[in-house]
Amino acid sequence: MAASLAEKELAQLIVTSLNLEVSADEIEPDAPLYGEGLGLDSIDILELSLAVSKTYGLQLKSDDEDNSKIFSSLRSLNQHIQTHRAK
Amino acid sequence: MMRLYVEGVGLLGPGLDGWTAGRAVLSGAAVYSAAPTNLRASELLPAAERRRAGVPIKLALAVGQEAILQAGRDKQTVATVFTSSGGDNDNVHAINSILVTAPREVSPTRFHNSVHNAAAGYWCIAAGTHEPSTSLCAHDASFAAGLLESAAQVTVDDAVVALIAYDHPHPEPMHKARPITAVLGMGLILAARKNERSLAMLEVDFVSGTTPETVMQDVALEALRAGVPAARGLPLLAALASGQSAQLCIAYFAGHHLNIRVTPC
Repeated sequence: MAASLAEKELAQLIVTSLNLEVSADEIEPDAPLYGEGLGLDSIDILELSLAVSKTYGLQLKSDDEDNSKIFSSLRSLNQHIQTHRAK
Repeated sequence: MMRLYVEGVGLLGPGLDGWTAGRAVLSGAAVYSAAPTNLRASELLPAAERRRAGVPIKLALAVGQEAILQAGRDKQTVATVFTSSGGDNDNVHAINSILVTAPREVSPTRFHNSVHNAAAGYWCIAAGTHEPSTSLCAHDASFAAGLLESAAQVTVDDAVVALIAYDHPHPEPMHKARPITAVLGMGLILAARKNERSLAMLEVDFVSGTTPETVMQDVALEALRAGVPAARGLPLLAALASGQSAQLCIAYFAGHHLNIRVTPC
């Protein structure tokens, strides 16, 4: 399924905040963000959490049991943000 | 007195784009023409580290790699001494800018890069090395301190050492308080014994008392030497470039200085 507008905006935030060498269009909505796939590591996830907090007013906690599910893909992260966003 | 041999040189600065081009300028064979320092992230870094590399990381790795390539040494077997007056001044500025605003959330990447030995960390990843590494700062004497430490390691431990000096300007408002005028790095591969790659022998003495520092003859290069702590090594590189014997003085702290005799191999 193609990326939605909200997913495209989040993809752009990921590229910008992490200074990625790929474009937002190249991030597959269902591909893994961490490790294989986009190749993000633990510092990237922390950086991305800060960017999400500033942009959407949503705190992503490091001890959330659902983190691996939330950060599993662009699509799942976007779903979590859209459900819990404060701005 | 400590005796050591230079096996390789790296240089990257404004209008000094690598040792081959820089050597021609420093020896007087080519005219110095200032141009922005040609920075690029090391191709040896994995993608994640490459996109997090700031100016000092790019500088340090570029001159270190260039010097080691010339020396024909394996990166994994060379110890390192990094020296920089300020480290990552852009990063310090970015963190300070965040700390004065609520809610003071510092970027994890900025925090990761905020230690003074960040360049050493990136180097060890790029080079795949576990050799000893030292990171120093000594204000305007940073290059002299790095050379002294490197000479000691070469002499005492019989180590092959890559001395990597780098500095870049502070953004305002820090620039007013601590002006560093350009982006410049230099690297030297130093060893205890002469080999077929040796360029010159250095005899280094740590001396008390003040004597006039060796300066650059070219006005623009002298401004560079005086304006960038890492560029205090330019007279040494000029002596290496000329292929002539030379006697140099580089200032250290509190009235101390280094006397350096350069003898081509």
